[in-house]
Amino acid sequence: MTATTSAPTLAMPFSLGYGTNGFTDHPLPVALELLAEQGYDAVALTLGHPHLDPFAEDLDAQLQSLRSRLDELGFRVVIETGTRFLLDPRHKHRPALVDEEATARLAFLRRAVDIAAGLKAECVSFFSGILPEETSPETGWQRLTSRVAELVDYARGKNVLLAVEPEPGMLVQTVSDVLRLRSELGNPDNLRVTVDIGHCVVVEPDGVRGALLQAGPLLANVQLDDMPVHAHEHLPFGEGAVDLPLALATLAELDYRGVAAVELPRHSHDAPGLASRSIAALRTGWEAAAAIRETERWLQESTTAVAADRGTLTRIFATAGRRWGRGPLHPDADPAGVLFGTTSDHARGLLIGGLREFLPPDELAEALLALYGRGDSAERRGVLRGLGALATSSPKLPAVVVTAGLRLTAEALRTNESSLVAAAAGPFAAAYLDQHSWRHAVLKLIFMEVSLSTVADLQERADDELARMAADFAAERAAAGRTIPDDVHLLLPPPLNHPTSS
Amino acid sequence: MRIFDPHIHMTSRTTNDYEALYASGVRALVEPAFWLGQPRTNVGSFIDYFDALLGWERFRAAQFGIRHHATIALNPKEANDPRCVPVLDEIPRYLVKEGVVAVGEIGYDSMTPAEDEAFSRQLELALEYALPVMVHTPHREKLAGTHRTLDVVRESGVAPGMVVVDHLNETNVGIVKDAGAWMGFSIYPDTKMDEQRMVAILRTYGTDKVLVNSAADWGRSDPLKTSSTASAMLAAGFTADDVDKVLWRNPVEFYGQSGQLILDPVPGFDEAGLPDASAGFEGNSVLRGVRA
Repeated sequence: MTATTSAPTLAMPFSLGYGTNGFTDHPLPVALELLAEQGYDAVALTLGHPHLDPFAEDLDAQLQSLRSRLDELGFRVVIETGTRFLLDPRHKHRPALVDEEATARLAFLRRAVDIAAGLKAECVSFFSGILPEETSPETGWQRLTSRVAELVDYARGKNVLLAVEPEPGMLVQTVSDVLRLRSELGNPDNLRVTVDIGHCVVVEPDGVRGALLQAGPLLANVQLDDMPVHAHEHLPFGEGAVDLPLALATLAELDYRGVAAVELPRHSHDAPGLASRSIAALRTGWEAAAAIRETERWLQESTTAVAADRGTLTRIFATAGRRWGRGPLHPDADPAGVLFGTTSDHARGLLIGGLREFLPPDELAEALLALYGRGDSAERRGVLRGLGALATSSPKLPAVVVTAGLRLTAEALRTNESSLVAAAAGPFAAAYLDQHSWRHAVLKLIFMEVSLSTVADLQERADDELARMAADFAAERAAAGRTIPDDVHLLLPPPLNHPTSS
Repeated sequence: MRIFDPHIHMTSRTTNDYEALYASGVRALVEPAFWLGQPRTNVGSFIDYFDALLGWERFRAAQFGIRHHATIALNPKEANDPRCVPVLDEIPRYLVKEGVVAVGEIGYDSMTPAEDEAFSRQLELALEYALPVMVHTPHREKLAGTHRTLDVVRESGVAPGMVVVDHLNETNVGIVKDAGAWMGFSIYPDTKMDEQRMVAILRTYGTDKVLVNSAADWGRSDPLKTSSTASAMLAAGFTADDVDKVLWRNPVEFYGQSGQLILDPVPGFDEAGLPDASAGFEGNSVLRGVRA
């Protein structure tokens, strides 16, 4: 969101880099030059083919010349070790730290530490590996802890940081798993955490923000990419489910000062284009992240003020419009701000969500009724979005809050203001509104030609009766010779599959 | 051509509209009590509104040579707000006032238990005060809502001939006709009905017990839709007498059952001139400032 009165966007505290595993069709010096051109100031260097052979005879000379090139470019570097067939040309990522026999892996990781020391790299990042078939997790953990203990000692001697990367499907697949490993080793100072923000939408229970916060000050390396929720597939920004502005805002909140590098290991065929588009997406995302941070600060100040003096709420709530502006929250998908609300609707909604932290349920209910009852349409949308925030953040709201929320939802659904009806069909309605009223809310949106993308849990709550209502509506429109809104089809039962031949 | 618009919300319209209505032939109309777009939150809001319908708005219409009548009710949408429901206790005193020609609009919006309750209570009032009933059919769930409306009317004991079921279209006109109630059609620029569809319905179902209205209000609507429907009827081969029946005699017959229709020409009204600047209503005038 864009704040009307925000300060100019501050510089990122971390360095933006790009992984060389996304540049395998370019020689390393060329890749570095292209990245510098685009404005990156770090590189995540994956050891092995085709860029830097860790076992080359002239490794020292290569490292020396690479370091001086990095110095010329002003680049920071992290060492990545996820080369697929470096140690075993037939089996990807084998041998792994969880395998019975892992000598080659350990030798490689020790060499990675040597290289990190030689390049004055920020850290060496590595993963645990997939547990071999017929190996118990206990055995895997035993192998992993003893081998990582060895590496930790070795790296300490070289003054190098290690960062364990959780990978979906591997023995260590979440930040929690890394923290467990670290704890079993007595929390060694040079054993840190790598977080790939794409992985988070696949495996982290608390999402990107939760995972980053959990890593906290132990975060030593970040990989940036997008990813769908259901598959470990590294995608360009905007093609998956990652909330990039939120991830960047969380890094800012943590004051993360390390390297955050784009990780697109399957996109070398279009590396220059992706390097360019990725940094553009990161810059846009950072602007959005700055606005998120700004909102959080306002939220903090506002809730503190209201906690100290309840009487300030009315005014803070009303003036949020001036503070946050009236533009659409998601201008591309919803230029009118009807479906997802405006920037100030969003801020007001967050504020309502924040009241829950300190207002007892009866006072919260009273505040909701008063803010809605005395509010203008925009404030009312804010209250409705706030009900959504409350419903989303808590699996079961206190009865008195639900009663107040249902009354306001019913009132809003009776209006003919599309933005109020849309705001009333959100997560609170999905969780608490009776089925009859909920169906009428959906039909009303159809009638008002408001996209059903504004309805929370549409597929979960839609039923045969709603399909019947939608079919009647379509019939009435057809009888009138009028067009039938596209979204009606979301509610109709799927057409029967008739056999095409006998 | 004389026109009676049996359903138009003049409170939401301008004096230009009154002038245009008069010019198109409208000499009488009925303004049903409904909601204001902005939901009401208390009984007092209804009281002032009802008083305005019977006071200021009648006066305003008369300035333009038009006889204004009203129907009074708690509308179905606001019957859902417990803060508004007590207005039901105030409604009886309005039902005996001059110019109140029906109980309405009542009926269904979202078909809730609260709407059932308000609908039944107001049908009882119509029986008690011997007034016709204007029933609004829902915007959504129109067919299901019309079925339920007719069931409730049947159970109430109100004669079907005392009831107009409004905002009909091709999908529900047949069941209303079969029930013996009056059939109301709202002609809108885009939604509800248009002139050509109206003509087609008149061809199929005849002109008996059909009322055509503009239902013009604060939404996108056109107060001259009665006149344009009349033109469409003539163009389609209906006679001037058919037009007079649908657009004048039918509404007069229906609302005349109240004994409260006033259809004499407005005394002293000069259709070529502006409203009499000396006329006022409780110290107010429709004129802004001094006439040049």
